[in-house]
Amino acid sequence: MHKESEIRDPLILGNKSYHDITKDIAFPVEGKANKYWWILFSLSLVLFLWGVVSMAYTIGTGIGAWGLNKTVNWAWDITNFVWWIGIGHAGTLISAVLLLFRQKWRMSINRSAEAMTIFGVAQAALFPLIHMGRPWLAYYVFPIPNQFGSLWVNFNSPLLWDVFAISTYFSVSVVFWYIGLIPDFAMLRDRMSAKTAPLKKQLYSFLSFGWSGKAKHWQRFEEVSLVLAGLATPLVFSVHSIVSMDFATSIIPGWHTTIFPPYFVLGALFSGFAMVETLLIIMRKVVNMEAYITIKHIEYMNIIILLTGSLVGTAYITELFMSWYSGVEFEQYAFLNRATGPYWWAYAIMMTCNVLTPQLYWFSSIRKSFIATFILSIFVNIGMWFERFVIIVTSLHRDYLPSAWTMFSPTFIDIGIYLGTIGFFFVLFLLYARTFPVIAQAELKSIVKSSGSEYKNKK
Amino acid sequence: MTKAKKYWKGLAELNNDPIVDKLKQNEFVEEIPVDKFLGDSDISSTSTSRRDFLKFLGFSTAAATLAACETPVNKAIPYVIKPEEVTPGVANFYATTMYDGHDYASILVKTREGRPIKIEPNKTGTNARIQASVLSLYDSSRLKNPMKLGVKSDWNTVDADITAELEKISADGGNIAFLTATILSPSTKQLIADFSSKYKNVRHVQMDAVSSHGTLEANETSFGVRALPMFRFDKAAVIVSFGADFIGNWGHPNNEKDYALGRNPNDGKMSKHYQVESSLSLTGSNADERIQIKPSEQAGLLSNLLNALNGGDADIRIAKMAADLSKNPGNSIVVCGSNDTKIQILVNAINDKLGNYENTITLSAPSYLKQGNDNDVAQLITDMNDGNIAALITYNVNPSYSLKNAAGYNSGLEKVSLTISTSLYNDESASKMMYVCPDNHYLESWGDAIPTHGEYTFMQPTISPLFNGRQFQESMMSWMGESDYHTYLQNYYSFADWNQSVHDGYFTSNDGKMNPKSFAATIPSFDLSKSEAIEFEMTEKISMGDGSQSNNPWLQELPDPLSRACWDNYLTISASTAGDLGITNWNISNGALNGSMVNVTVNGTTLNNVPVMIQPGQANSTVALAVGYGRTAAGKCGNDIGFNAFSLGNGDAIIEVVDGEYEFAAVQLHHTMMGRDIVKETTLADFIVDPTSGNHKTLYATHDGPKTGDKVSLWDEFDHSTGHFWNMSIDLTLCTGCAACVISCHAENNVPVVGKEEIRKSRDMHWLRIDRYFSSDMTKELSAEEKISAIDMYAEMEDPSGNPETVYQPVMCQHCNHAPCETVCPVAATSHGAEGQNHMAYNRCVGTRYCANNCPYKVRRFNWFQYSDNDKFDFNMNDDYGKMVLNPDVVVRSRGVVEKCSMCIQQIQAIKLDAKNTGRTVRDEDAQTACSSACSTNAIVFGDVNDNSHQIQGLKKDSRSYQLLDHLNVDPSVFYQTKIRNKA
Repeated sequence: MHKESEIRDPLILGNKSYHDITKDIAFPVEGKANKYWWILFSLSLVLFLWGVVSMAYTIGTGIGAWGLNKTVNWAWDITNFVWWIGIGHAGTLISAVLLLFRQKWRMSINRSAEAMTIFGVAQAALFPLIHMGRPWLAYYVFPIPNQFGSLWVNFNSPLLWDVFAISTYFSVSVVFWYIGLIPDFAMLRDRMSAKTAPLKKQLYSFLSFGWSGKAKHWQRFEEVSLVLAGLATPLVFSVHSIVSMDFATSIIPGWHTTIFPPYFVLGALFSGFAMVETLLIIMRKVVNMEAYITIKHIEYMNIIILLTGSLVGTAYITELFMSWYSGVEFEQYAFLNRATGPYWWAYAIMMTCNVLTPQLYWFSSIRKSFIATFILSIFVNIGMWFERFVIIVTSLHRDYLPSAWTMFSPTFIDIGIYLGTIGFFFVLFLLYARTFPVIAQAELKSIVKSSGSEYKNKK
Repeated sequence: MTKAKKYWKGLAELNNDPIVDKLKQNEFVEEIPVDKFLGDSDISSTSTSRRDFLKFLGFSTAAATLAACETPVNKAIPYVIKPEEVTPGVANFYATTMYDGHDYASILVKTREGRPIKIEPNKTGTNARIQASVLSLYDSSRLKNPMKLGVKSDWNTVDADITAELEKISADGGNIAFLTATILSPSTKQLIADFSSKYKNVRHVQMDAVSSHGTLEANETSFGVRALPMFRFDKAAVIVSFGADFIGNWGHPNNEKDYALGRNPNDGKMSKHYQVESSLSLTGSNADERIQIKPSEQAGLLSNLLNALNGGDADIRIAKMAADLSKNPGNSIVVCGSNDTKIQILVNAINDKLGNYENTITLSAPSYLKQGNDNDVAQLITDMNDGNIAALITYNVNPSYSLKNAAGYNSGLEKVSLTISTSLYNDESASKMMYVCPDNHYLESWGDAIPTHGEYTFMQPTISPLFNGRQFQESMMSWMGESDYHTYLQNYYSFADWNQSVHDGYFTSNDGKMNPKSFAATIPSFDLSKSEAIEFEMTEKISMGDGSQSNNPWLQELPDPLSRACWDNYLTISASTAGDLGITNWNISNGALNGSMVNVTVNGTTLNNVPVMIQPGQANSTVALAVGYGRTAAGKCGNDIGFNAFSLGNGDAIIEVVDGEYEFAAVQLHHTMMGRDIVKETTLADFIVDPTSGNHKTLYATHDGPKTGDKVSLWDEFDHSTGHFWNMSIDLTLCTGCAACVISCHAENNVPVVGKEEIRKSRDMHWLRIDRYFSSDMTKELSAEEKISAIDMYAEMEDPSGNPETVYQPVMCQHCNHAPCETVCPVAATSHGAEGQNHMAYNRCVGTRYCANNCPYKVRRFNWFQYSDNDKFDFNMNDDYGKMVLNPDVVVRSRGVVEKCSMCIQQIQAIKLDAKNTGRTVRDEDAQTACSSACSTNAIVFGDVNDNSHQIQGLKKDSRSYQLLDHLNVDPSVFYQTKIRNKA
């Protein structure tokens, strides 16, 4: 009896050989940019410049350029901050947690997901800086020894924890990403001709740190990757937990909630995966990576989105229940106002985009469709932005004393800064796509099924 | 023979030594030894390496660059000869009198380095306008020179012209008229008498922008005394006011204080206050019971009341009031704000019937605060139009603005051959007159006043005149060929101890009492009828009064206690009438309030595009508009704000809704407490039975039995058992919402003015605000009873009742001992003080605004922009004169930092220093904050709770005392006393 054990579907399509992979991945770096790249890049650059002008105007005249007021002292600034930090989360999860769990499918997407993390965190880090009334004194938030007497930072403040959490996260992410890039840079270096592209060759030689592919190099590479993955894993959970404490440790109804740390982490993964999908679905088209980023990858990510989306939904319901169960009228009113007050529409958008639409992923036809996934991932991005807006603005605008109740409305500067960071993000990402190996090819080569299937097909 | 002069530098040159020529060709005597230097074979062994050279180069470039940067130099110029009484850094206080033709107060003026910066009460209390008048001194829109025919002139020219004209008029037998506001100064009246004996045919007409003519006439008819009675609100058990805003704008400045004295529930003596009015006034909002009527019903109801007191049947609305009054003969007060003589005679009859005269109402030592005579004014205008007036001199009045018949006055003015204004401003009236001889501000003037019979108060200058003005009395004397009003004044008071009187600011003489006749007048009778028309009433705002200080940005930005809107006046209307007419108010996306506009026609005059605000408490089918707005020549910040209600007069209104929407600037957008325990309230009856009534503390279940929140705290306590522990008590029963404290805080703490647009964005900077809440028809009890869903309940709770009960709650930084702001600041810019205050270090603040978010009281204010020296905020802090009012003890905050109430820490430091210098302990009674010292009713009490002798200790332990939002356990150092209402 002939029994052939079922083998899993290949993770990359097209029966790629090692050389094919090298060629495909080096192609965007070596070749010329296509029309789509230029269109996207110009658009992003325009948005970015608009953002720069808006930020310069804010720093020049004052935070009054935004729509904030005496009651709502944070709105789009911190919404954007948390949104971008959240987006960053999927990258670390994919590269670190999935590495530890030996999920090989991550190899096609981890490089770009990590790039997204770093660029996302960079956007996020802008906001704590520019939202300050006096950003030129931002160094006050670092515990720098000084001559101001016994003046020191306030270690009780969650904002200070943010400073440490974000800077740690950012540096570990960058190092982790860079370590993974070394063999790939070396591959690019080796392909560059010293005659036609001497500068590029020099650059990639520098970036690859003299990688020569010795067994010892590979051994160290594997070790460092594992150690860094171990270091990065707790960061996936700590960063957003700490960001959530900006709210959870306060006394504002709607903020003061113990459920926030896990709720924020789940929300971050949720939005992070959605952003990875948005980016990869575009990228696989723009830089011809259809064979590497397949519907299989998308489906796996959709399952994570379905799971985290449902958990986030559970958190929303739990919050509502707890506010009622607490018996505290301020809590009860805060959530009643969230759902039925003047910002009911923001709450409705949040609920629809985060809880209802991801449930469509129960249908395998939707889960396995690029188009549907792309649309739904945009929905999630929007929904998660509104989640932060709802938490921040609807809690603040009607807190304890009705005499102080008011509303918030963004100005052109608010909008400009937000769109500007989106532009900045895409500028960075598009430049990355043209200069970096967008897929961890060295790792990817380890899962190419060159042996068996090739011969089988020849039969 | 001429020889050209020859100049020479040395003998060698004189002697044409060839070396001179050689040297001229060769500037460097010796060649620069470059070659030698470079060719030196030892050069490599020198200690200066190439690196060092680059270092030197770098350093010298950097040093030269840095030296080119100059830090701005602010010059502080010391006194060459120090005035004896001025010590830099130490404030001097002078007693003086504030009077501007509308407001009167006996005050203390705080001066620093010769600049008046703050006003404190002396013999009388102060209101918001009096507190703000110190800024009007530094108004750069004031006239800086005399003017002749609209052109800048000088005193010599103007005086010569005027004197010549006056002499000619006098010789021709022409009539000279003085049109002045009420003159309280007996010496000025004497001067006018002197003037008339010199020039003959002189007439003195007094007018009040907000007239009390009716009352004066009624008192003359009834009692033979043409004056306002003095009321003893502290002595009355029942107070009935028919539309008189006696706490706010009507009558003597001490009314508020007296009223509060009679309303202290702790000794069980609390007057019962009824208010019968159509538009909600500050007084009405404080009443125990408020009855809404239309203005046309007032006379009928008063007639009915008198009838009821005589044993007849009372109208159902006033039956209880009539019963209360008749139970308290000689111990009650009935006042009326009407300017109708007949109605006032009726009120006199009621008070006479009750036997209140010389018990609670005094005419034997009356008030002279209003002396204007509407008949005289009307006659003057007729005479002017008939060409019978040859010269008109105005003082402290703005008739072209404040007269209903301004058109008649203006046309008459053209027929007067000599018109002289002594206004401080080139205002609506002054700009129409030939000569403007600017008066000095009261803080630059000498003067006197007799506000009430037998009481004299003095005015002394606290600063040299800022501009080339001259006080009115001095001008008058120079036109009589005399001079020196100061000496004139001293001579006038030769009977008194001048130095002591000026020092104290007042003296009481035993002039003897007036002798009013017993009541003798025909009592008019009115029917209880009511017109169907919409009736219009002029009202007066706490902030603006008659509009004479409308160029004062502090007052423009002072939120009205009732509507909480500023920078505007608007037609107020009830929600129900607004609904009938299709008028709405709504909030736009950033919360700002917008409203419909109407054309309103009263007595044939129409104002177009007047905004309408829905005001709870306004009677149905009535509308009201505050006077003091619609100025066109007030100055840069008062011009073209609102509409002139003086031009309408009271009467029936025709209202036509027009297209368009108006943008209001309101600091409070929600008007009810939403069923929350914010202002705790109870009734007098309940309070007598249970002193903790309305103030039962929430108990929390613990393993150790139920406990109050502060006993189950997670926090470590600060140790405040030793040293000072500054606390503040605010009695919500005594607080009338008058807002004097708000302006006092503005002045003391250099709080910036931000303008209407920023207020609309909810960015007011007030450190101290007075929250005002109206009651709602929907309550938690009602919703439980009628099974209304929480969503509907809260929605309905947002709507105030049509005739609501009002509460006021001053809220400033609560100085929490477990402050939520302190824990969240990343840079520790706000931290806890050893004496219980919550400190704010502006230098350290980076402006994350986290503290402001986490403040449950929302008292922290962020500097959204640079508010000083910024043309976009062109108020007093962007004006060299306006900046002189700044308190040098308090820093002017830069943009990007959070600021808030400091409990006037600069004043606490000052008394501590003073105590240290004089070698004694701090006298706790010296400790005052700007708000507590300005509070006429003593609702705000500040002190050290560790001082056993201070009343604050008792107040803290009082059964009425509670901390706002006490369930949060933030443990504020500010606490409130339950509001008690005297109602069943």
